[in-house]
Amino acid sequence: MNLRNILRILLTLAIFALAILLAFRLWHHYEYSPWTRDGRVRADVINLAPDVSGLVTEVAVHDNQRVHRGDLLFTIDPLRFQHAVAEAEAAVAVRKAALDQKRSEASRRARLDGVVVSSEAREASGFEASAAEAQARQAQAQLEVARLNLERASIHAPVDGYVTNLNTFVGDYAAAGRAALALIDADSFYVYGYFEETKLPMLRLGQVVDIRLLGGGALLHGHIESLSRGVTDRDNATGQELLSNVNPVFNWVRLAQRVPVRVQIDSIPDDLMLSAGMTCTVIVRPQKPVKTAAEAAKNR
Amino acid sequence: MPREVAIYGVLLPTLLPILIGVAACYWLLDTALGRFGFYQRVWHPPLFRLSLFICLFVGAAWVLQQ
Repeated sequence: MNLRNILRILLTLAIFALAILLAFRLWHHYEYSPWTRDGRVRADVINLAPDVSGLVTEVAVHDNQRVHRGDLLFTIDPLRFQHAVAEAEAAVAVRKAALDQKRSEASRRARLDGVVVSSEAREASGFEASAAEAQARQAQAQLEVARLNLERASIHAPVDGYVTNLNTFVGDYAAAGRAALALIDADSFYVYGYFEETKLPMLRLGQVVDIRLLGGGALLHGHIESLSRGVTDRDNATGQELLSNVNPVFNWVRLAQRVPVRVQIDSIPDDLMLSAGMTCTVIVRPQKPVKTAAEAAKNR
Repeated sequence: MPREVAIYGVLLPTLLPILIGVAACYWLLDTALGRFGFYQRVWHPPLFRLSLFICLFVGAAWVLQQ
């Protein structure tokens, strides 16, 4: 075997070794680095329900409108509540008159001597005055409730946000406690990255992540805020007769569960229109190990 | 470079277009090397060609993904 032959063999082996090394690195980069394609943009959705029931007389917003905290959203017919306030005011007037009457009776009887009025009647009129006072306070409280109902007939935005999927129109009957309008909190956008459980040990709280939205190449930055402490066990549903219904799975192929990791978006560009439900890729930047999520939680 | 590209609404790994591009380049290179008789100078031509392709592909993927 001459030198030329050895060189031929070495050249082939060298490129073969390089190929194995590179392929392994790429595989490792893709399969074991902490990133996921399964990310979702989410936001707090407020299901606005009126506190009182009634006919909707005015819808002050249109679909997808940006609203600010305190803006009027819709109004429920206030007539009934105005009448209730008038009734309560009348009741207060009645009780006040009764209170005045009882008070003057009591003070008059207190001034008379024992020959004209018995001490029992004098005592009773004092108690009647106290009861009348309590009734006047009760009527006053009912008036406050009536005023509150009137006030609650106009529904205002509790936060800055966006009206979404507006399905309430003038003439609808809005029932108390039943959501009539969804409001997306504009300051609450965050990302849920569904990471395979095999990648969770690589995540640290506070780690910087890159978020790339599927629609357009906008690159956002954020950091890991927390991770979910529970996902549904899909292999153990409750079956008939309250017995557990354990799925017979393969012993060899096991799918990794996905655990939601909450990522806070550090800054959102003004020109970017984020929408809850968008798909994104979440890539955790490599970082020197400081503290694993589990350790941080343990120390807390 | 993003890790995936959306083609007509379908999310594909960026590796796929890279693979196609590298395959085209490799085909040209492979033809040229064969024409100039380079493969007669290596020990095990099929192994060499496979390794060369893997090196090109991973190298391109690595450079483009950084």
